[in-house]
Amino acid sequence: MTKQVVIQLRNISKTYTSSLFLRKRKTKAIYNVSLEIYQNEIFTLLGPNGSGKTTLLNIIIGQILPDNGEVFILGTKLKKYVPEKIKKRMNMCSGNPNFPWCMTVKEILKFYGLLYGISGKKLSQQVDKYISIFELEKYADVRFDELSTGTKQRLVLAKSLINEPDILLLDEPTLGLDPEVSIKIRQFIKKIKHENNTTIILTTHYMKEAEELADRVAFISNGTILTIGSIEEIYKSTKTTNLEDAFLKLAHL
Amino acid sequence: MKKEFLKIFAYIYRNYIFAIRNIFTFFDILFWPVIGILSIGMMSTFLQLDKQLLSFLLTGTITSGVLQVTQLEVSYGLLYEIWSKSIKQIFITPTEHYHYIFGSWIVGTIRGFIVFLLLSIISHYLFGFCLPKINYVIVSLLGIFLTGLILGMFVNFFILLYGQKIDILAWSVSILTMLISGIYYPVSILPKWLIRISEFIPLTYFLEYFRKGYGFEENFRYGLLKGFVLCIVYSFILFYLINLAYNHTRKTGTVIRLSE
Repeated sequence: MTKQVVIQLRNISKTYTSSLFLRKRKTKAIYNVSLEIYQNEIFTLLGPNGSGKTTLLNIIIGQILPDNGEVFILGTKLKKYVPEKIKKRMNMCSGNPNFPWCMTVKEILKFYGLLYGISGKKLSQQVDKYISIFELEKYADVRFDELSTGTKQRLVLAKSLINEPDILLLDEPTLGLDPEVSIKIRQFIKKIKHENNTTIILTTHYMKEAEELADRVAFISNGTILTIGSIEEIYKSTKTTNLEDAFLKLAHL
Repeated sequence: MKKEFLKIFAYIYRNYIFAIRNIFTFFDILFWPVIGILSIGMMSTFLQLDKQLLSFLLTGTITSGVLQVTQLEVSYGLLYEIWSKSIKQIFITPTEHYHYIFGSWIVGTIRGFIVFLLLSIISHYLFGFCLPKINYVIVSLLGIFLTGLILGMFVNFFILLYGQKIDILAWSVSILTMLISGIYYPVSILPKWLIRISEFIPLTYFLEYFRKGYGFEENFRYGLLKGFVLCIVYSFILFYLINLAYNHTRKTGTVIRLSE
């Protein structure tokens, strides 16, 4: 059976330009990246800080325009603007969750639900459903600025599912969390994949997380993809038994 | 159509929550406008101004309060997300700039109307100020609300380009505009080059129309028409510029930095 491609990147490059007075500084973030992501897989972008993982995710979600290359999402080529029909089918969860400080958990979910065009009974059901799934009942009426980091993380995951997306982008979802909460978040991610038939693109620099969750892994370093494959394929090609060794081997080739 | 309204309603809902939970939003509508009307009213009493001149000054003060509150709310539409560092979360949703602009503007007009009522009542009881005929009030208020929309969008354009570091613009742009539009004086006393500039500001015409209700002569022909046409033209230009600014932030990566 052929796998359906939901995201395709062709020769994507991105360089950031910052200027201080008349001096311009250029930082190469992504260089000539091409990859395909299949339906209902957890595709993990693995690499150190500053390797270009987040830039790549933001290019996919349409918040950064690449300098070169083409992006296809669900068969549609992205141009200057991401079409509404595509935006409706995607969502994103960041490792550094931020929401309006004075809104409660319930209000935030309701607000985002409305932005995705959900209303009435369906909206209340969706809000209650994700409050329950992410065990946020106790915090439903607590303001965002009063939540702990772990609870904020669960909230941003709940928000990223409010529209039941076909494609979910998770940017370092366990960043800075204690092991207990991280385990729970990873369980949630697995559950989302299996129950919602969602395609998940996950960035992380935790090798263990990738080993536990990923169907396929892409190693990224200095804005270029070093290798793409299933964990077994990567072990085989690098003659290693863990992702950390495999990455080090590839990065120093 | 329903979905479009829902998205606008989402921002009305968010701005409403901010308005009832933050002390600074109460100050916006209660403190500064009331301080303004009391100080101008008492100064007028001290100077023993006649009823017509008193009306001239107090219409300026009321306009100032209503305009600033409306414009601020439109700017808050973007600033709330910038201050919360959640702007990226908003831009990945299937919404457009006009959704948060119109949603915030609707809340702004409600807050502006509250300011208008409050200041009119205070100035009536303390200084004997009376509003002109209803048609002058309705048309002027509509014009002031539209000017608030345009100034708010103007601020949003710069905030998208330069981020939080220029949020001070949100509190200064309407004051500068009022200065040129003849808030406490007729524009005819301004230097010629400033009068030229004031002709391009819709508020100039709406203030004049408000004061026409008290028998003051207008300085410009077809003022009201010019005011509304300018509002429409500026709003189209600003929507275009805001889209350009947003694309610029996507090119430079600013939209991501604003969320970190």
